[in-house]
Amino acid sequence: MPKPQCNHIQRRTFLADVGMGFTGLALGALSHQNGFARDHSDTAFTPPNGEPHFAPKAKNVIWVFLSGGYSHMETFDPKPALVKYGNKTYDETAFPNPTKDPLFMLRSRAVVGGDRPHSKIFPMQIGYRKHGESGIEVTNWWPNLATCVDDIAFVRSMYTTDNDHNAEFQMHHGRHKLDPPEPVLGSWIHYGLGTLNENLPAFVFIGQYKDTRVRWDFDANYLGPAHSGVELSLDPKKPLPFGIRPGSVLAREQENQFEFINQLNRLSAVEYPQDAEVQARIKSYELAFRMQMSVPDALDMSGETTDTERLYGIDNKTTAVYGRRLLTARRLAERGVRFTLAYLSDYGEWDSHLDLKKNHARSCGRVDKPVAGLLKDLKRRGMWDDTLVVFCTEFGRTPGVEVRDAYKVYTGRDHHPHGFTVWLAGGGIKGGMVHGRTDELGFHAVEDAHYVTDLHATVLHLLGLDPHRLDIPGRKRLEIDYGNPITQIMA
Amino acid sequence: MPRTLPLVVVILLATPSSSHASDRGIYSRDIKPVFSKHCYSCHGGLKQEAGLRLDTGALIRKGGDSGAAVMPSDINNSLIVDRITAADESERMPPEREALTDAQILLIKSWIAQGAKSPEDEAAEEDPREHWAFKRPRRPKPPAVTNAKWVRNPIDAFIAAQHEKRDLTPFPPAEKHVLLRRVYLDLIGLPPTRAELHDFLSDNSPDAYERVIDRLLDDVAYGERWGRHWMDVWRYSDWYGRRRVPDSLNSYGQIWRWRDWIVRSLNDDKGYDRMVMEMLAADEIAPADDENIVATGFIARNFYRWNYNTWMKDTVEHTGKAFLGLTLNCCHCHDHKYDPIANEEYFRFRAFFEPIEIRHDRVPGEPDPGLYPKYSYGKAYKPITSGLVRIMDEKLDAETFVYTGGEARNVIPDRPPVIPAGMAILGGESLKIEPIELPATSWYPGLKPFVRREEIEKAKTDLAKMRETLAKAKQLLAAATDEATKDAAELTLRVDQANATRAEADLAAVQARIHADEVRYQGEPGDADELARRASRAERQAKLEAARVEFARAERALATAQRKDPADEKAQAEVKTAESKLATTKAALSKTEEVLDTDTTEYTAFSPLYPKQSTGRRAALAKWIADKQNPLTARVAINHIWLRHFGRAFVESTENFGRSGAKPTHPELLDWLAVELMEKGWRMKEIHRMIVTSSTYRMASNVASPHPTSSDPDNVYLWRVNAKRMEAEVLRDSVLYASGSLDATVGGKEIDQSLGLTTPRRSLYFEHHGEGRMQFLDLFDAADPCDAYRRTTSIRPQQALAMANSELAVQQGRLLTGKLISELNSQDNADEHSTRFVNAAFEQVLSRPPTATELAASEAFLQKQTDLFASASAEDLAATEKDEAVAPSTDPATRARENLVQALFSHHDFVTIR
Repeated sequence: MPKPQCNHIQRRTFLADVGMGFTGLALGALSHQNGFARDHSDTAFTPPNGEPHFAPKAKNVIWVFLSGGYSHMETFDPKPALVKYGNKTYDETAFPNPTKDPLFMLRSRAVVGGDRPHSKIFPMQIGYRKHGESGIEVTNWWPNLATCVDDIAFVRSMYTTDNDHNAEFQMHHGRHKLDPPEPVLGSWIHYGLGTLNENLPAFVFIGQYKDTRVRWDFDANYLGPAHSGVELSLDPKKPLPFGIRPGSVLAREQENQFEFINQLNRLSAVEYPQDAEVQARIKSYELAFRMQMSVPDALDMSGETTDTERLYGIDNKTTAVYGRRLLTARRLAERGVRFTLAYLSDYGEWDSHLDLKKNHARSCGRVDKPVAGLLKDLKRRGMWDDTLVVFCTEFGRTPGVEVRDAYKVYTGRDHHPHGFTVWLAGGGIKGGMVHGRTDELGFHAVEDAHYVTDLHATVLHLLGLDPHRLDIPGRKRLEIDYGNPITQIMA
Repeated sequence: MPRTLPLVVVILLATPSSSHASDRGIYSRDIKPVFSKHCYSCHGGLKQEAGLRLDTGALIRKGGDSGAAVMPSDINNSLIVDRITAADESERMPPEREALTDAQILLIKSWIAQGAKSPEDEAAEEDPREHWAFKRPRRPKPPAVTNAKWVRNPIDAFIAAQHEKRDLTPFPPAEKHVLLRRVYLDLIGLPPTRAELHDFLSDNSPDAYERVIDRLLDDVAYGERWGRHWMDVWRYSDWYGRRRVPDSLNSYGQIWRWRDWIVRSLNDDKGYDRMVMEMLAADEIAPADDENIVATGFIARNFYRWNYNTWMKDTVEHTGKAFLGLTLNCCHCHDHKYDPIANEEYFRFRAFFEPIEIRHDRVPGEPDPGLYPKYSYGKAYKPITSGLVRIMDEKLDAETFVYTGGEARNVIPDRPPVIPAGMAILGGESLKIEPIELPATSWYPGLKPFVRREEIEKAKTDLAKMRETLAKAKQLLAAATDEATKDAAELTLRVDQANATRAEADLAAVQARIHADEVRYQGEPGDADELARRASRAERQAKLEAARVEFARAERALATAQRKDPADEKAQAEVKTAESKLATTKAALSKTEEVLDTDTTEYTAFSPLYPKQSTGRRAALAKWIADKQNPLTARVAINHIWLRHFGRAFVESTENFGRSGAKPTHPELLDWLAVELMEKGWRMKEIHRMIVTSSTYRMASNVASPHPTSSDPDNVYLWRVNAKRMEAEVLRDSVLYASGSLDATVGGKEIDQSLGLTTPRRSLYFEHHGEGRMQFLDLFDAADPCDAYRRTTSIRPQQALAMANSELAVQQGRLLTGKLISELNSQDNADEHSTRFVNAAFEQVLSRPPTATELAASEAFLQKQTDLFASASAEDLAATEKDEAVAPSTDPATRARENLVQALFSHHDFVTIR
């Protein structure tokens, strides 16, 4: 009998047979490499064939990530109680002290260090009001996005378990820093569905970072590098690694060279009829040649109208950088890229231990217009129903003010895994709704609480995938890794 | 789970009613897998909780302590139904969160309703103690086979026996050039040169091949090639964590010395048993041996500064996987579900490592890396950049406590600490652990001769320099003509005089400390306390002289300031500063004068002092793992070696030889080789030699004529050799080597990843860590630094782009072209021409001549490209890439040849080891 293995490492097998093009073309389907799943068990393991498990509601995902942890209170979960009890301790409010709630210990798990004091409540740093027909409250730092609330489902009851920035990677692969990581969401999608466009990568990362750990946000882990996110650069001279022919090589010169390589490989295929790899190699060169054209084309925004550029805020210095990233994300979705991770901040940009007011005002100013522009653009182009937009961060921020010996003034909030807000819009999502709730102080997710993998499950579900059916023999996943789709926010 | 319900309905509809149901069908297909997955770990071969086994239909019907688990055709009286549907969680089976789904319950009920039938010949689960891998390998006799003339050595006998049993016909031997390239790439990771190819092809002596193998196994490149393989298994990683900060959290600075130790040990053909022992406990089994202490990098690699438990966890997991092929990590939270290893045994295994700490040691010729800094919250720690990193026992009485749920916060209160032990199933339950008295140079590394030599050398060099300066100052004074210059020169002379005295005192202090050390720690004759006092005083004397230097400097500064225009405000300020400086140096001076005669025996040590004992825990573990009695160690090693020669392991789950792992394809051969390894002193070169000289290894991987469809399409039983894709490192190294650019320097500090395409060192010397791999290597499936018990192989278009556009392939192609042309021009007064060039290029890059068709195609290509360049504009031809080290040739014919060579690097036959 085949036995599932506890955390067993056996990943080479699974690259097999995913003949769905581009980076999905990870042909382990080679005679000597179809691991033991086939040879040593009664039930053969078959990798996904690129078909969804059930009817999908969306085809593509644009996953917008803001690094550092935005304050849920100062964005999409405003709390009047913070105004009322500003500068009071938790014990001085009318509510039970949230740090004494059993949830406090239950959900969080520190990698390093102990708990940090923040018992005095920090008042709201910005006003807020109701918007749209739904009357959803959003703070005044989001004037553009506020006009879209009727299209958005806000989930105000997220929680995670790491109180430090490894929560960023946890948001993408679902595992706490102290546990072995899993493949990220985009990789599962790539593995399960393959691509809609052979000439473009199916899982793309766009963003800039200096801290190389950001790559963990798009690492396929045991699914193998073929399913990792491909990093595209908006610099047309260097769109993807090795994606442009050197300046010293003529176009025709290289075209002939590709042709010649394939000619030689076809001769080799005759010589070595048992070699399945050579066919894959030939195909990979054909694709590579086409990709050299299609990637720069996808990234070339010169065909976009001024009107569109304005919509994304590309005409404005403050919003231009992120506006371009989101416009690119739309262009990629349009061309069939399954999952685009748009990294819409610097690494740790939102991490406002001090000067929260200044920092959040600045960062909201960079993001608000482009994100609203993306939603509006998707709608007017008829891409709304096919494209799922997710907007998230790694955790929220403490309702209390952060106190540290080194600080002269206390003007910020600390990391807060116990409750935070994300939102979704587009394909398969019910607009104008708020799902879940944190307590009055914004501390614990108390109603319909969702761990980060519930967000993954929601995305997979909308794309027609059942994560249980993506399982790989020998890789033990825990129930919490699969998460549960948030069905309440689905249209 | 509701989501699977529709599927069940289908199954039930599709399963005909009991009247004509096949009992085997429903039981074997639907019921047994559920029991196997959810119940066997407690009610099967491994454990029989409540006396109940569920691993055969008969045993289910028989039941356990509470009676029959199932009453055929009677759902209501079947105990098992009560238990799997119990509402009370404490009653319900399976326990905890693993409840069966409604669909599974429905299936079980329907099976019972249909009579709970099962096949009669069903075998119960094997007794886990009888699992093949837990029993010592014994050397089986190589089987007698019909195809006896094919058998060159015992490997072939075992392989041929399987061929004959399965009616498989082995492929003929590979062509000579194919074999040569294969064995070069397998043993040294580099292809043969044209000259080596020619030599071999023209050598018809019977031992030509064997002599090649001798040479390759003696080549240092062998250690680099196989070092990289073992680095995969032992999870080599340079430091990482927050490299941008920089903050070294995982692994450690200077860990590359462990990598060099791996390469060195392999080249020396050190026994595998010895290597394992040194990696786990070099500091205990050979504490005075500075060369091998870095082997403990295996443990240091798992270091995680932010969380000690993570360090322990990774060390346990990977010691188990790498050396024993056991997934101990499963027992972190609960008893192992498949192997007879209890939860507590996990912690007993961890206890071997509990006392450890990181330690830095100084090495000759490098600055002292200083004391290992204990972590303080929120601080960043730069990686050390000199010396070596190693492991030592620091907490000699460290206790290990059992915690639950894999969560270190949940230590079970009142449970006594566990005693270090190996797994009982492998006979490791009562290992003799004896504390080890360390030699003085181990617990006080400052006693090492090189430290003394270097300290004295440093002081002497300083003194010589100071004396030289002093002599110069005297000359200047003598040469001074006017008063002002003379005054200034005199003040400087005073400073230099003081400095020379200070340097003398420094040297004296170093010598006094050494003398005191010799008597105090090394049994030299003398009065230890008196010498210590002298050393202590000499140090204070040196400090006093240093204070005098400062004072003299302050005097000079004041005099210089006073000479300036007193009306100048700036000068006034300078005088003020100088005056206050003079006052502080004077105060400091008198302080050092005051303490000069302090009576104390304390003096500065030449290094930190560490515990004089080690617990001996890891030495005990290491000896147990490396013992011939251990059933797993040699098998796991052989399996890794076999995998890397044949592209397929005997046990495909290379890090899991337990009951949930794969079964060995050739159990007898695996055991034979394991015993052979042990009996040949665990020397791996002998094993390599035997493998690559076997008929098995020499078979072709492909034949041109269509081959009858085999009954073994996956080639499990090796009726041919598997063609392999070059590993990323082999590919990069081979491009550089074939082009004549490879820098063969062995070892050293890790090289910046970003230099990967331009610095022609072998790939294993570049940074490789958990934050990122070299991009080029990553595209070709380089090892995951955290998990590479075996690698994946992919074919991706990005690889094609990397070969077509990277400066590596493009520029090396140009370089090689130039070399080939001049080589051909200098040979036998025959001019280089296209046919000769194509031949030479094929031989150099692919280690074979072109076929007639390839030759024709290549010549046509050369012509096509030559025409293209001939008609291209001069401007186009001269276009270059920024910072390009090697520009393309502007001569059309040469540039066409460059294109050809570049294309050959992209050839499937280049990246393939046939």
